[in-house]
Amino acid sequence: MLMPRKVKYRKQQRGRMSGQAKGGTTVGFGDFGIQALEPGWITARQIEAARIAMTRHVRRGGKVWIRVYPDKPVTQKPAETRMGSGKGNPEHWVAVVKPGRIMFELGGVTEELAKSAMERAIQKLPIKARFVVRSEEVQVEA
Amino acid sequence: MPEVKIVAETGRRTGTRSSGRLRGDGRIPAVIYGHGIDPISIAVDARELRQALSTDAGLNALLSLDVDGTSHLTMARVLQRHPVRHTVMHVDFQIVRRDEVMSVEVQISLVGDADLVSRENGVVDQQLHSLTVKATPDRIPHGIEVDISALEVGSTIRVADIILPAGVETEVDPEAPVVVGQPPQAAAEAEAMDAEVEAVAAEQSEAASEGAEAAAAEEGGGSDSGAADSGGSDEA
Repeated sequence: MLMPRKVKYRKQQRGRMSGQAKGGTTVGFGDFGIQALEPGWITARQIEAARIAMTRHVRRGGKVWIRVYPDKPVTQKPAETRMGSGKGNPEHWVAVVKPGRIMFELGGVTEELAKSAMERAIQKLPIKARFVVRSEEVQVEA
Repeated sequence: MPEVKIVAETGRRTGTRSSGRLRGDGRIPAVIYGHGIDPISIAVDARELRQALSTDAGLNALLSLDVDGTSHLTMARVLQRHPVRHTVMHVDFQIVRRDEVMSVEVQISLVGDADLVSRENGVVDQQLHSLTVKATPDRIPHGIEVDISALEVGSTIRVADIILPAGVETEVDPEAPVVVGQPPQAAAEAEAMDAEVEAVAAEQSEAASEGAEAAAAEEGGGSDSGAADSGGSDEA
């Protein structure tokens, strides 16, 4: 699973996820992508599950790019613990995603195969997302 | 290249809210600049702009922009889009001259079937999707086609291999790869996984040998406290 090798501070505050993605909103490497339509935290496990779902469906050929990185630690207090006595322990890592962000890309396969693979990957994610095609992004929709 | 005519309105109010109202009315806020004139805030009709930029020339179309009765030959240089809806939110029009060499991005499209790559279950990896070229507005190509029918796994088509039309040049590194015939990902993943397993096995064997050495040293010492410690760690 993806996680930082080392971090400057072990614990982070939760933060806000208002607004839309400022960058990474276009397909940059492959031909197809999964675009987030809602803000949310994507855990390293969910990223891995989505990646596996895509690569297994594509079987041979195809190349997958992961364009989000889980660099935010999430803490949890142990079960049945009284409140207080400080912040919990870091348990997992998440990527903060805002609407518009391209999270995964896929190239080297046909559009039908890419769509079915990416729809399976979207099922592994905790937010609404959609399948996008690079060639349609160039068109002008005023 | 024939230019498309668009009428622009001047005197729009700038700012987020007034720009939002303009978009609601079917107009797009824009700015026109270049060749020493002061930038002018304008608004263009969304439908006209879409038609103008949907020709074969695409985003590199030459536009004749009518601003307060003065016609300017322009090109749309920067299109700001909504991150989710992908609608155009703002356009920068740059004034150009017909005899002026300018730098533009031209889309690269692949033609032909890479049978040799697909026969080996490889992947056609397009690494460069657009090429920055220098040309006069009349000579800007609508697109660049790269034939991949002779592409093999492990071979690369580079920028130097692209044949550009007369009067068109590029400053991109000629050795930059455009299309690469990649080996099957499944095979690459299996290799990576094997390497990872080997690394973990090597680490474990190292740790085991170190542990055995430490245990041998402790046994040689014959201390009871060491045995009690190891029992505690097993339970944990």
